[in-house]
Amino acid sequence: LLISSREGLKEVEESAKEIIKFTTEKLSIDEASQLVISPLCGAVSLFVGTTRNNFEGKKVISLEYEAYLPMAENEIRKICSDIRQKWPVRHIAVFHRLGLVPVSEASIIIAVSSAHRAASLQAVSYAIDTLKAKVPIWKKEMYEESSSSWKRNKECFWTTSD
Amino acid sequence: MVLRCQVEVLYFAKSAEIAGIRSETISVPQEIKALQLWNEIEARHPGLADVRNQVIFAVRQEYVELGDQVLQLRSGDEIAIIPPISGG
Repeated sequence: LLISSREGLKEVEESAKEIIKFTTEKLSIDEASQLVISPLCGAVSLFVGTTRNNFEGKKVISLEYEAYLPMAENEIRKICSDIRQKWPVRHIAVFHRLGLVPVSEASIIIAVSSAHRAASLQAVSYAIDTLKAKVPIWKKEMYEESSSSWKRNKECFWTTSD
Repeated sequence: MVLRCQVEVLYFAKSAEIAGIRSETISVPQEIKALQLWNEIEARHPGLADVRNQVIFAVRQEYVELGDQVLQLRSGDEIAIIPPISGG
């Protein structure tokens, strides 16, 4: 945001933004990046999670995501406020795809901006690790031989992976 | 006398497939341990026994393990059955 003043163009302190979006539409990396870009920042860090076409030798033909929406959004807001306690970041955007997702498309995009790169790089890494452990979202893989399986993140905080 | 209330139980992912529903309203004691609440839910949907060691509750959108914690419930409270998560 720019305004004119007697001193000329002066930057207004833009307020920190958190954009959280769940959608059945294809995710746009460009949109996530544009949302967090700031003239105060020298870095935008992105994580893009995409859907794989195989699991333990089985061919995955499609994947489906569902979420406990209001709680998932609240848990992501908690992650955003944790991030702000830990690192000086500017804006945070988290997009998660829901419903049927074709193989190779993005299921999640996390974008964070910061004045210097270390903060946003670490924040993005923390955000995806914590999201996998705490945010109520589920993925079901559908395999070629018409079987399917609900997945479990190894980070899921109340179960031990076996 | 045990005071009871009507709570909304939400089922997700595998638990929704087993229960065959996504939500239902049930009558439960206002004061109940989390594990006892699970037992009441499992009695309605015996197939859920398969996942009892993997699930956690979200009571009013906060995680609660299926243990001895006493829940103070009110009518209209939302209790979600949360199977292992796999977002990201």
